[in-house]
Amino acid sequence: WAEGLMKGECREEEGLGPKPAAPQQPTEEEEALIEFHRSYRDLFQFFCNNTTIHGAIRLVCSKHNRMKTAFWAVLWLCAFIMMYWQFGQLFGEYFSYPVSLNINLNSDKLVFPAVTICTLNPYRYTQVKEELEELDRITEQTLYDLYKYNSSNTLGAHPRGRRDLREPWPHPLQRLRVPAPPSGARRARSAASSVQDNNPQVNRKDWKIGFQLCNQNKSDCFYQTYSLPDTSLSSGEDMLDNFIFACRFNQASCNQANYSHFHHPMYGNCYTFNGKNNSNLWMSSMPGIKNGLSLTLRTEQNDFIPLLSTVTGARVMVHGQDEPAFMDDGGFNLRPGMETSISMRKEALDRLGGNYGDCTKNGSEVPVENLYRSKYTQQVCIRSCFQENMIKQCGCAYIFYPLPKNAEFCDYRKHNSWGYCYYKLQDAFSSDHLGCFTKCRKPCSVTSYQLSAGYSRWPSVTSQDWIFQMLSRQNNYTINNKRNGVAKLNIFFKELKYKTNSESPSVTMVTLLSNLGSQWSLWFGSSVLSVVEMAELIFDLLVITFLMLLRRFRSRYWSPGRGGRGAQEVASTPASSFPSHFCPHSTSLSSSLPGPAISPALTAPPPAYATLGPCPSPSSLAGAHSSAYTLGKP
Amino acid sequence: MAPGEKIKAKIKKNLPVRGPQAPTIKELMRWYCLNTNTHGCRRIVVSRGRLRRLLWILFTLTAVALIFWQCALLVASFYTVSVSIKVHFQKLDFPAVTICNINPYKYSVVRDLLADLEQETRVALKTLYGFPENTSRKRREAESWSSAWEGTRPKFLRLVPLMVFSQDETSQARDFLTGRKRKFSGRIIHKASDAMHVHASKEVVGFQLCSNDTSHCTLYTFSSGVNAIQEWYKLHYMNIMAQVPLEKKINMSYSAEELLVTCLFDGVSCDARNFTLFHHPMYGNCYTFNNRENETILSTSMGGSEYGLQVILYINEEEYNPFLVSSTGAKVIVHRQDEYPFIEDVGTEIETAMATSIGMHLTESFKLSEPYSQCTEDGSDVPISNIYNAAYSLQICLHSCFQTKMVEKCGCAQYSQPLPPAANYCNYQQHPNWMYCYYELHQAFVREELGCQSVCREACSFKEWTLTTSLAQWPSVVSEKWLLPVLTWDQGQQIKKKLNKTDLAKLLIFYKDLNQRSIMESPANSIEMLLSNFGGQLGLWMSCSVVCVIEIIEVFFIDSLSIITRRQWQKAKEWWARRHAPPSPQGQDNPGLDIDDDLPTFTSALRLPPAPGTQVPGTPPPRYNTLRLERAFSDQLTDTQEPAES
Repeated sequence: WAEGLMKGECREEEGLGPKPAAPQQPTEEEEALIEFHRSYRDLFQFFCNNTTIHGAIRLVCSKHNRMKTAFWAVLWLCAFIMMYWQFGQLFGEYFSYPVSLNINLNSDKLVFPAVTICTLNPYRYTQVKEELEELDRITEQTLYDLYKYNSSNTLGAHPRGRRDLREPWPHPLQRLRVPAPPSGARRARSAASSVQDNNPQVNRKDWKIGFQLCNQNKSDCFYQTYSLPDTSLSSGEDMLDNFIFACRFNQASCNQANYSHFHHPMYGNCYTFNGKNNSNLWMSSMPGIKNGLSLTLRTEQNDFIPLLSTVTGARVMVHGQDEPAFMDDGGFNLRPGMETSISMRKEALDRLGGNYGDCTKNGSEVPVENLYRSKYTQQVCIRSCFQENMIKQCGCAYIFYPLPKNAEFCDYRKHNSWGYCYYKLQDAFSSDHLGCFTKCRKPCSVTSYQLSAGYSRWPSVTSQDWIFQMLSRQNNYTINNKRNGVAKLNIFFKELKYKTNSESPSVTMVTLLSNLGSQWSLWFGSSVLSVVEMAELIFDLLVITFLMLLRRFRSRYWSPGRGGRGAQEVASTPASSFPSHFCPHSTSLSSSLPGPAISPALTAPPPAYATLGPCPSPSSLAGAHSSAYTLGKP
Repeated sequence: MAPGEKIKAKIKKNLPVRGPQAPTIKELMRWYCLNTNTHGCRRIVVSRGRLRRLLWILFTLTAVALIFWQCALLVASFYTVSVSIKVHFQKLDFPAVTICNINPYKYSVVRDLLADLEQETRVALKTLYGFPENTSRKRREAESWSSAWEGTRPKFLRLVPLMVFSQDETSQARDFLTGRKRKFSGRIIHKASDAMHVHASKEVVGFQLCSNDTSHCTLYTFSSGVNAIQEWYKLHYMNIMAQVPLEKKINMSYSAEELLVTCLFDGVSCDARNFTLFHHPMYGNCYTFNNRENETILSTSMGGSEYGLQVILYINEEEYNPFLVSSTGAKVIVHRQDEYPFIEDVGTEIETAMATSIGMHLTESFKLSEPYSQCTEDGSDVPISNIYNAAYSLQICLHSCFQTKMVEKCGCAQYSQPLPPAANYCNYQQHPNWMYCYYELHQAFVREELGCQSVCREACSFKEWTLTTSLAQWPSVVSEKWLLPVLTWDQGQQIKKKLNKTDLAKLLIFYKDLNQRSIMESPANSIEMLLSNFGGQLGLWMSCSVVCVIEIIEVFFIDSLSIITRRQWQKAKEWWARRHAPPSPQGQDNPGLDIDDDLPTFTSALRLPPAPGTQVPGTPPPRYNTLRLERAFSDQLTDTQEPAES
């Protein structure tokens, strides 16, 4: 409390004041630096006359009437209790940090979000064929064994033909009974659970298909393909021309600076338009198809990896500029031979951080390192958290998530049992044993885009001739299966209105203070300054007590021994019979210079105090004023 | 003496205006501090000790500052709104639904008008991309055209030539019609140098638009030839269609009976009469269901697809314009009855051979207008005239603004928007360089140089229907066998051919549920709240009230000012008197009186009545009063009663 501090300083000054300031004081003729009342009676009288606390004045000053005093004491106490009860309620409300939801409907020109489009085909089959050949062969064989599916006609003749499969690969695909055999103990159980959760599975009565991963065996299987990300990245670079035929935004062509490329292990080559590194961000100043992004895509299926990509088309995702594109979280698949018009509607959510809610502004206080070098989102955090745990427990990093410092991606050649470890970790992760979901807090501001799509057939029968011809001619490439080979995509804002859901504190400091003041005024009629008055009174009381004790102490022990100054002081102070300002140094001054030092202003009050022995009621004071006014009239 | 003067003097006598009692500002302050109800002030005066007094001054000033600060915060946050969301369950009005075929006009009908253009487009395609002019389907017609081609000179390509640019040297272009190289000094709008499609030929297609004097030319390049051709075609198409009268255009487009094969609303059959025609410049004839024109607004009694609008649309794909539209289907838009359907901007496409289910969810929003936000109730306070025959919306304003600017700058109106009064659509005959003008203007609009975006404000209340689209294969293989013949038989009069699966599209529009969400803003603070908060602040810090504030105004402004003026007046008078008559009796009086009566009057005035016995305070009051009276009157009267004396 500020006043308390002030008082503390005061006391210090006061304590120091008398000794060094004593010689200077006599030069000041009017009043001392600080003065104290002579006795408790004076003090109380002074307080009683000048206090602004309602009720208190009645309580103290109506001391001649016991009945009145008791009455006022009860009233005062009641008001006091009421006030503090109300204060308690108000503080309780404030410190529960309530928030009120605001919905703002804004309309503004909008920054076009980043749009990421993926080919849905990780690698060109022709280029990775050699590397995957053995895997394909095994998979085919398994398919044949399990389902009697003869795939030789789909994949054509293999150059090497079918090798003998007497020596099986590790982790063979096999049928597993759903109720795990009890003898398998821990290993079998974990395998069964992982099968349920994560593996490609085929339901057929009570059988499930899966592969078993055990920590003794070497692991391979599908993930082998993903652990070789650098093999065909270079060949993927030049796919842009073959993937996107035309790109327009706001009726202007896109250029090199508008997009960036990355490779996603599942969804293939991805192109982010209007991403973080776009030189000047696209703005939408009008809603509608014409003012959005329009892309013509190639969705040929010739070089898809037959056993990995089971869907055709493209995958598109709309996200904020500084957020990474998690294609499997929020993607939208495009059908080939269609014009897909995706209309967006922006929605923003702002939470109040700090005491008002559990959210984080930029993720700096979340105990998980952000591996994505992008804006904090909950997904980013959860993935980083998983990767962290993966490295801690399995010793290597999961290939789908970014690589932290001094770690390496999992490779079955170095880390034998990473697959087993991964599935175990995945299990713990989804049941939240890792604590990732509790560690990762919600971000305070979230921007989301609501998408809705409309489809129309493209190109139309009448126009397809020239369009196909032109597209093939332009790209030096013949579109074979016509309509399935192309797709068109429009992404645009449906409206520029957007909703912002934001929180605001429903009780602010200002309203809290106002409410406190209202209650205070209502019950007590006092103010903060009245509290300071009380503090001053207490301070004065303490000082006077101290001085009195000191004086008594001095008079008892010091005055007989040493006459000098102490005797003079003690003698002089009681000598002044009428109440005067008690000031140790000024008394010496007054004793030495009695006449001129006392100014008329200072001498005048004492008689007034004396005459006012019975405290003047405010009404009499008011009467005095009014009389002063009325006297002026005639 | 005039009677007026008399009355004046009488009034002055009976209602005397008196100045403050205190002779000096210091006295006035002292008097104020002792008598005010505001906490803190009294302590400044009655405390003893300079430090104590200083501290009390500090406290009081701090409290005043805090009051001001907090009240400023309260005022600043006065214009905030609180939002309430209500969910009603009720019978909902069905919105207006506008359905258009993507293709505006039947190509067989409109072909006569566009024959030249089509021919030139094909020539351009052939020259640019080696597209065989004689495709299998149109061999006959093409042959007849190519024979006609010899005679006529290409007029469209001459007006706006399509060009091929080589990637490296954009200043040099090959006009493919003449084949000769041209030098271009015009600026290139879309930088072709870093276009992302670096195809083998390293060529970019575009066209050039020039203003009247051919010095200002703008080059539009397209990374894809398809876009270039379409854009080029569209320009000329708009030019041609702008000259066709509206009735003819309506006749060229699809009739309601043709477009709507079956119709079912809320389980009851409906037909083409329930739809009102709305002609859209780019989409031809559109039909609006539930437009309030012929009857009251329809409403649905239940949610779910059974109770909504179900229509089967006939999309005749063979009648499609090959260059203008490249996709097949219909467009649908859900809007308020008095709203203009911006089908080209926000329509949802419907695919052929598919059943498209659109579930709706209604959200109503009401905003508070000035001073809470910038929205407008009905657009009357927006300085843009609404050229659409519909209720105000932001988009209408933007389009109207652009169209008005277009008429201003280019002298004619753009084809795809309604005509403002006293203007006509652009065409070559009257406005040879309107295309250049349009493109320039559109670029400026997108860059927000026209100021439309800043002038137009959003509407305060709007309804929006959130749509959820889902698709299903329709008709199914087994139902196709009976469905198509039945529909063909039904439509025997309109359609002279057997219906195909890809000619039809099914559309279902329905309310997902009958709850309506209303988002309503209301003022978060009322004036009473503000006042009570003010009162709270004043009470908390200083226990002050409005009376105190009035007191402060009285003492600090009126009284202080009058004291100062009085002092100045006295000085001036003194100076005047000294100048005329050096020995002035008044000049001696005043200082003496001030010194004598200062302290006794004000310190004792308070405690005067209860202490009649003592002689020290007892003496001053009469002196003070008489003095004050004299002074007050002498001061006031010297200047006010001058005419009476004279």
